[in-house]
Amino acid sequence: MELLIQNIVTGLTTGMIYALIALGFALIWKSSGVANLALGQLVLISSWFTYGMLVQLKIPFLIGMLLTIVFAILLGWLIERLALRPLIGQPILSLIAVTLGLAYFLEGLTAFIWPQGQGYLPKAFPQDPIQIGTATVQQELLWGAVISLVLFILLSLFFKYHKMGIAMRATADDQLAIQACAVPVNRIFSMSWIFACIVAAIGGILISSIAAINYGLVETGFKSFSVVILGGMESFLGCIIAGPLIGICETFGGSLFGSSVKELIPFLIIIIVIMFKPFGLFGEERIERI
Amino acid sequence: MSLPCGTRNYSYNTDMAIIRTKTQWVMFSLFLLALFTLPFYLPSSWFDIVNSIGIIVIAVVGLNILMGYCGQLSLGHAGFMAVGAFTTAILAQSLQMPFLVSLICSGLSAGLIGLIFGIPSLRVKGFYLAISTIAAQFIIIWVLKNWTGVTHGANGLDVMQASIGGFIFDSEIKQFFLIFSVAAISVLFATNLARSRIGRAFIAVRDNDLAAAVMGINIFNYKLLGFFLGCFFAGIAGSLYAQYKGHISYEDFTFQQSILYIGMLIIGGLGSSIGPIFGTVIIETLQKLLTNWVAPWLEQTITFLPTGFSSGLNLMLFGLVFILILIFEPRGIARLWSLFKGSYRLWPFSY
Repeated sequence: MELLIQNIVTGLTTGMIYALIALGFALIWKSSGVANLALGQLVLISSWFTYGMLVQLKIPFLIGMLLTIVFAILLGWLIERLALRPLIGQPILSLIAVTLGLAYFLEGLTAFIWPQGQGYLPKAFPQDPIQIGTATVQQELLWGAVISLVLFILLSLFFKYHKMGIAMRATADDQLAIQACAVPVNRIFSMSWIFACIVAAIGGILISSIAAINYGLVETGFKSFSVVILGGMESFLGCIIAGPLIGICETFGGSLFGSSVKELIPFLIIIIVIMFKPFGLFGEERIERI
Repeated sequence: MSLPCGTRNYSYNTDMAIIRTKTQWVMFSLFLLALFTLPFYLPSSWFDIVNSIGIIVIAVVGLNILMGYCGQLSLGHAGFMAVGAFTTAILAQSLQMPFLVSLICSGLSAGLIGLIFGIPSLRVKGFYLAISTIAAQFIIIWVLKNWTGVTHGANGLDVMQASIGGFIFDSEIKQFFLIFSVAAISVLFATNLARSRIGRAFIAVRDNDLAAAVMGINIFNYKLLGFFLGCFFAGIAGSLYAQYKGHISYEDFTFQQSILYIGMLIIGGLGSSIGPIFGTVIIETLQKLLTNWVAPWLEQTITFLPTGFSSGLNLMLFGLVFILILIFEPRGIARLWSLFKGSYRLWPFSY
């Protein structure tokens, strides 16, 4: 029983971070229909940037965070402007491939500027573990989960009530129609990339202040694809529910079959979901016509 | 397919031929001659590059069948190559099978694994399929890593060099002839496949699978056949890689390599028979030049940057070329080549 609760708590908190990264994916998919496969690399580069600010240049914590957010905004804007915008209207294969090229480029860029391959951020959160009932949980993970939840609520509210958010949803629905309503579609795409990069940066800071900055971040990015697939690609709610689910599956699999199985579980979930319920829990099923 | 000016066909055979004119025959023979006499004039230090180009061409030709013709994305091609490589390692090393048998078996086993991961392609496409093949890559590598009884985990397996009928391919140059014979057969097979009923069905499925189904093409069969053939070639390439390197472990087949193959294919030209060759030769040569000469030179001249900074150069430049090609010439270098041929034929007239 104790083990059960412990696993659930650990799974929930680690899963929330997957959910946070997946949110960045859903943002872009929702408004522009581009699948961003460079998810992990965005997390990687913003974590390294934070490292450069906080550790190498020794900038105070809060200013460093602020600079990282500014960097994320710039990065998102640049990516959309230089790589994605020229490809509007191209086949889906090109759009997928361009994010792969982007992934390669960003990975190379990080290896170029920070070749050491491993870095540690100063700890942002208190270290001592907290007791929840019979389970102990690292306080950092709890903070991460809370921040993800807050971001999720903010984003949902933004999409529900803010003018820009509504325009973004409308763009996802029908680009031509929204263009006819004099909404600048280009700016909406650009905004969605900026938001996604900010979310990735926050996710990156959270994960890398808990663990180290290394290539594992990219793999975390791949694992959060399972969240996207299980939750359904265009659903924020899906992300925030599927993330903890996957986290729980992971910790249970890890404690039942040994820790090496843990890495495998997100990918197995991807295959199983795609085979039996391809549009996930909350995704909308698209009917195709010729 | 454009017909050279002044060429007439008097029989179905000439109409179907890949090589139509005398000039094309001469050029083709000269190319083959130049290719297979490479050992006489190329310094032997170059042969590791040339051989790895040959192996990768086979894998990318397979990817071209799957992606270029059949339109199904595979982000796990290195994983399928790993299946072939380990099959060869196990069959040739532990069970002492002859090389040709293990070569074919590697292709078949990779093809079968490809079939399993190709099943989702019936229900999903585009990005969903891309993700499921990413999962395939990681699942395959995980199995190879953790099934230590067979694959020896991180230690990997030793593989003997190939031998056919007592003739052992024990030097770079002998390997060159083996690899390039297989590569030539693969390219020829893929070229002819694209012109057959199967190839045309693939293209119909790629362009619009619903419309293809309405026209009476069994998309389930053809998509799975695409996966099987694509992964078959990956397996063959993996098998050749295993016996060429002499030692393999799961770390040789990373996800980055899968992306690299896709990049080579797109840079070379999707859905053209010559594209994989262009892409592989150009990217592989550039990468070797960068790592062997440019990177050390940069490290020596620019000393104020941290050591090892040039390790990212390769990835960065490849990503950049990849994005630029997608933006400016989505049909790749093969398209440029055919434009060049067209204007050469008509020269000095511009139309």
